[in-house]
Amino acid sequence: MRTLRQRLLPYGLLAPGLIWLVLFFVIPMYFMGELSLKTGSLESGYQLTWAWSNFTDGISDYSTQFGRAFYYAGVATILSLLIGYPLAYAIAFKGGRWKNLMLFAVVAPFFTTYLIRTIAWKTILDDSSPAVSVLKTLHIVPQDGRVLATSAAVIAGLTYNFLPFMVLPLYAALERLDQRLIEASKDLYASATQTFIRITLPMTMPGIIAGVLLTFIPASGDYVNATFLGGTSQAMIGNVIQSKYLVVNDYPEAAALSFTLLIIILIALLAYIKFAGSEALMGDEEEAV
Amino acid sequence: MNTRPNTRNLKLLLLASLALIASLALVACGGGGGISEGTDNSDVTTAEGGSATSGNLNISNWPLYIDGKTIDQFDAATGLKTTYTEDVNDNNEFFGKVQPLLSQGESGGRDIMVVTDWMAEKMYNLGYVQKLDKSKLKTVDANMIPSLRNPQFDPEREYSVPWQSGMTGLVVRKDLAPDVKSVNDLFDPKYKGKVTMLSEMRDTVPLVMAADGIDPKEATTEDWMNAIDKLKTNVDNGQIRRFTGNDFVQDLAKGDVVAAIGWSGDAVQAQADNENITYVQPEQGCSIWSDNMLIPVGAPNPDGAYAFMNYVYEPKNQAQITEYVNYVSPVSGVKEILEKEDPSIANNDLIFPSEEFTANCFAQVSPPGDEADVKQVEQAFQDVITG
Repeated sequence: MRTLRQRLLPYGLLAPGLIWLVLFFVIPMYFMGELSLKTGSLESGYQLTWAWSNFTDGISDYSTQFGRAFYYAGVATILSLLIGYPLAYAIAFKGGRWKNLMLFAVVAPFFTTYLIRTIAWKTILDDSSPAVSVLKTLHIVPQDGRVLATSAAVIAGLTYNFLPFMVLPLYAALERLDQRLIEASKDLYASATQTFIRITLPMTMPGIIAGVLLTFIPASGDYVNATFLGGTSQAMIGNVIQSKYLVVNDYPEAAALSFTLLIIILIALLAYIKFAGSEALMGDEEEAV
Repeated sequence: MNTRPNTRNLKLLLLASLALIASLALVACGGGGGISEGTDNSDVTTAEGGSATSGNLNISNWPLYIDGKTIDQFDAATGLKTTYTEDVNDNNEFFGKVQPLLSQGESGGRDIMVVTDWMAEKMYNLGYVQKLDKSKLKTVDANMIPSLRNPQFDPEREYSVPWQSGMTGLVVRKDLAPDVKSVNDLFDPKYKGKVTMLSEMRDTVPLVMAADGIDPKEATTEDWMNAIDKLKTNVDNGQIRRFTGNDFVQDLAKGDVVAAIGWSGDAVQAQADNENITYVQPEQGCSIWSDNMLIPVGAPNPDGAYAFMNYVYEPKNQAQITEYVNYVSPVSGVKEILEKEDPSIANNDLIFPSEEFTANCFAQVSPPGDEADVKQVEQAFQDVITG
C-alpha cells in the first residue's frame, strides 16, 4: 500500500512545469488561436468573426514561402546529418583525451549571439571574398555569379547555425554505444561497412531522429538567415509572418500563418515518427540490450 | 539493461514534447497581446506639467541618432536623470509595440518618442500624442529652420518638433557605377543583382514613381500599385538584390552593390570611410522627410520633455549632434558654428542643403485613400519584399 504522500509526490514534482506550461504555452496558444479567426485592424480593434479565410488565404497566398521553408530546412537537415555524423563519430571514438575539447569546440559558437554569427557569414560569402573566389575558380559558382543573396547562402547559414543541435544528440547516442557489440560483429566476420550498417547505425537511430527533429523544426521557422543571407526571392514563411506581424500589423493573418506552420510541422512529425519508428526513438524493451 | 516499464506512456510524453518543440519553430511569430479599441483625437490634451523641471526623463529614439555626450551634458545642465533608449528601428514595428499602451492612454514611461512624419500624423489622428505648449518651447520656436516650420502634416507644429531631417535619394559607388543619375538607371540590366532599395515603402516607391514622371503628391493608388508591379518585375528577374535598412552602406562598401536607394546621412557617414561612396541627387528629385519628437499621451514628465527639446535646439548643442549624425539639422545657426569647428561638414550639401540642391525634391508622401487603401498598398509592397 502506498501512502497518500507517495501517491501525491509525482503530481507535486510535475506541478511547477505544468503551471509554467499552462501559463506561458496553453493560454497564449488559446489567444493566438482566437486571434487567428478575427478580422479588423490594430487601430479599430479586432472582432471574432470566425474568419477561417485567414487560413485559406494564408495557405494560397504564401504556399511558395511555405514550400521554400521546408525545402531549405530539409536540405539543411540532411547536410547537418552528413557533416554531423562523421564528426560525432570521430569525437566519440577517436577523440581520446581531446574529446572534451572537441565537444567544447562544437558548442563554442553559442557563446556568440545567433545574430552576430549569421551576419559574420555575410563577410565570409560576400562577392569578393576568398571563399567565393575559390568556388569561382573551381567553376562551382559561375564567373559572374554570386553566393550571397541566393538560396545556397541561406541553406549554408541554416546548416551552420543548427549543426550543433545535430551533433550533440548524435554524440550522446554514439557515446552510449556498447563497444562489445562492435567487437562481436567483427568476431563474426562482418566487414567494417556491414558493422556500421547493421550495428552502429541502428543503435544510434534515436540520436539521428532527435538530431533531425532539433534541426528541422527550428530551421523551418527561422527567418534570420533568409533576412541577412538571402536576397529578394529567398523569403521563408518566417519572414512572411514577421512582416505580417511587425510591418503590416495584420495580427490575425500572422497568427493564422503561425498556426498553419505548427500544424504542418506536427503532421510531418507524426508521419516521420511512424516511418522512422518510435521504438528506435524510445529504445523499446524487446530491442533493448 | 534498459527496462522501461511503460512504453506507451513514454510515447505519449514524447508526442507531447514534440508538440512543444514544434511550437518552438514559432518563436518568430510572437503572440497577440492585449489589443483594444483606438481613440479619436477629438479631445487631444496639451502636455502640461508643474513649473519645476526635475525627475526622470525617458526618450525613445532610433539607433545611432545622437552623439555620446549630449545626454550627460543635458543631465548635468538640468539636474534631470535621462534614460535614452534606442528602441525605434522601424516606424511600423514601433507602432505595433507601443499601440496597446498608447490606446490605453499610457506611454510606457516614455516622455519623448521620435518617429517619421507620416507615423507622427497617424499617431496624432489616433489620439496617441499630446499637443505642445508653445510657451514652454521658446528656444525651439526661435531656432527652427524656416523650411520645417509648416509641414503639411502639422502646419503649425502643434504636436511635433523635428529631431533630424534627411533626404532619400541614390547612393552610388562612383568608381563602379559612374553613370547612375536617375532611379531608372537602377533598372539597367548591366547592374543586375548589384542594386538594393529601402524596405521602407514610403522611401522607395515615391522615388520609383517620380522617375517615371508621376508627381508623388498627386499619385493615385493605381500609380502606387503600378510602381510596386515594376519593382516586382525587377525582383523576379533578379535585378534588385535586396531590400535593406541602414545596412545598404555595408553592401556598397564591399562593392557587392554598386547603386542603392538610400538615406543621405548614412551616405555621409559611409563616405568618410570610403570616398568612392557618394550620394547622387536623383534627376527627378529626392524625397525629404523628418523624424519628429512627440510627447505621447500619459507621458510622466512633459516639462522634462520641453527642457530637452529646448536644449537640443540651442545651436551649440545641436552642432555636436550634427557633427555625429550627419543628417540635415532642423536648427538654424548650426552651420555658422560648424564653419569654424568643422568646415567639411558645414559645406556639405547633404547636411546643409542649398535650395538649388533640393529644387526637385518633394516632401515624403504616403499612399492616398482610407485605411483600407493604404493597407492594400502596404501589403502589396510587403509581398514584393518577401517574394
